[in-house]
Amino acid sequence: MTLEKAYILLSILVFLIGLLGVIARKNLITMLVSTEIMLNGVNLTLVAVDKVLGRVDGQIFSFFTLTVAAAEVAVGLGLVVAIFRLKGYEGSSEIVHLRD
Amino acid sequence: MIFGVLAFWLLVSVLGAVLVKNPVHSILFFLSSVLAMAGLFLSLGAELLAGLQIIIYAVAIVVFYVLVITTIPWEKVKRFEGVYKKELLFGIPVVFVVFLLMGYMVLRGSFAQPVGVVEDNVREVGRTLFTSYLFPFEVASVILLVAMIGAILLGRKEE
Repeated sequence: MTLEKAYILLSILVFLIGLLGVIARKNLITMLVSTEIMLNGVNLTLVAVDKVLGRVDGQIFSFFTLTVAAAEVAVGLGLVVAIFRLKGYEGSSEIVHLRD
Repeated sequence: MIFGVLAFWLLVSVLGAVLVKNPVHSILFFLSSVLAMAGLFLSLGAELLAGLQIIIYAVAIVVFYVLVITTIPWEKVKRFEGVYKKELLFGIPVVFVVFLLMGYMVLRGSFAQPVGVVEDNVREVGRTLFTSYLFPFEVASVILLVAMIGAILLGRKEE
């Protein structure tokens, strides 16, 4: 097993732990943190494959991922604060307006 | 050796960020994981990305999270702490099986052939970003502008 495969396995593990956080956290803000962890794991895969191939395209894709992460945090936290101000709660189990 | 230390640090801080009870502690664990990830990028030879990771994640995004948490009353936050036990117990086997499948694929597969060697990372990234990827770069600025307008619209007070 080369070291690059170890990097990719590590990034898969980080992504799946972030997915577990999105599934299981109660607080909306910590769910957003788990989403950031998932994006970080994807970035690690892109950079590791870049190292193998000797190119820089994956790093440029990681820059765009950083852009999307920043935009997602701005809009997502704005939504959380708006939900909290309008409804007065922020638990992920109480937002069921689309279900009923 | 370096990889082992950084990977252990990253996994511990990521697990802490997902499983710890207090939201502020979770964000501090996330900050630690961002630093470990920047170290991994450095060990992979991506210096520019490591610097941007620290500037954007560790400075901008983490500070933004902490600011938003300070605007929310603490007793309302305390009602929703921690994780759902049932979802966690169902989620761990699923995640484990998916990790086994993907890890099997990674271990059995082989990489593509290398096509070149990057000597100067920052120069190479800048040149590629402003020649081949110029249009996606401009679109990224539009995305940031739209996200800024959307955040202002969402955050304004209802009259």
